[in-house]
Amino acid sequence: MTDYWLSKLFFDLQHDAQLVTDYRADMAAVMERYRIKPEVRRALMDDDVAALSPLVNAYLLRFYFQVRGMPQDEFMARLHAMNPPHPAPAAKVGHG
Amino acid sequence: MAKLVGIFAASHGPIIAREWETMARDHRDKLTAAFDEIGRRLRACRPDLLVVVSPDHWVNFFINNLPAICIGIGDEHDGPPEPFMKKVYPHQVLKGHAAFGRHLLQTALDNDFDPTLSHRLTLDHGTCIPLWRIGVDPELPLVPILVNDLEAPMPSIRRCLAWGRLLRRAIESYPEPLRIAVLGTGGLSHSIGETTMGWIDETFDHACIDAFARGEERQLDAFLTEQLDRTGNGAHEIRDWVIAHAAAGSTGFELIDYFPSPATLVGAGFASWKAPAA
Repeated sequence: MTDYWLSKLFFDLQHDAQLVTDYRADMAAVMERYRIKPEVRRALMDDDVAALSPLVNAYLLRFYFQVRGMPQDEFMARLHAMNPPHPAPAAKVGHG
Repeated sequence: MAKLVGIFAASHGPIIAREWETMARDHRDKLTAAFDEIGRRLRACRPDLLVVVSPDHWVNFFINNLPAICIGIGDEHDGPPEPFMKKVYPHQVLKGHAAFGRHLLQTALDNDFDPTLSHRLTLDHGTCIPLWRIGVDPELPLVPILVNDLEAPMPSIRRCLAWGRLLRRAIESYPEPLRIAVLGTGGLSHSIGETTMGWIDETFDHACIDAFARGEERQLDAFLTEQLDRTGNGAHEIRDWVIAHAAAGSTGFELIDYFPSPATLVGAGFASWKAPAA
């Protein structure tokens, strides 16, 4: 299920360099500007890829963790840990 | 009247720009050869205008306002906003072609299509990596068509085929004697930000290429409609190839090259179609 405000935060981070600076300085303060649910807030603070993945478009998720400075290999490993890579086609769930 | 003089398609991926200088040389050479061949063919058809069919990577649109199809009808568009693109493709402003953009839009509306419009789009890496690597003259006017290839629900393959036929009709009914080329960007298979990230589905890619080569629209529609949700999400960008394919009359497909490109996370595909005016 898409989380609009989480998506909006990720989208805005893609477009606003000052917001990125602010977010890196104080994540919690920036989250206050959005209607981020408590459990989503925890997932953001924990860099919980698995918890955030179902809530946003996959491209926005990738961009967000680039902003967070997570190396691509680690990001991919966390995604793969959610599901074995190279699944049988029937097991694949499309996500935008 | 205007003529459709060239139809092309090419993959893109941010890593192509971000890591171009540090990429393994043999891999960079393969990418270079494929893009260069498209560039050679594009220049040979001497276009006055290029219609570029691309996805929008959350640059112009968000989920509060997400068109299925947007036509750029401005005299100018903005160059890529991504910092990694500014180093390799530093064009802040790209020429549009308002008159043809408006003609395409009007032709669409007159034929019961309902695109949205933009007088000034920002053209991200999806458009500009191919322009950069193909070596498209930055002075060549562009008419961008942005397709929702990223967020479900997306335009059906059937509708994309219809859009391609409509694009052809708009080109051939434009009263000025322009030479117009079409470039579809994106695909083939890749998986971004999802649990299969990095997966390149070569089986899908080869079947996809075969479907384009056979040309038959119903088979292409059936194959893609069934398979797109079973492979990586990046493959949805094949819609841009489908529009190019139908603009070409769904015939004359020629594969320039295909190879899995793990370094850039994409099934790298490059193609052209025989132009009706050739």
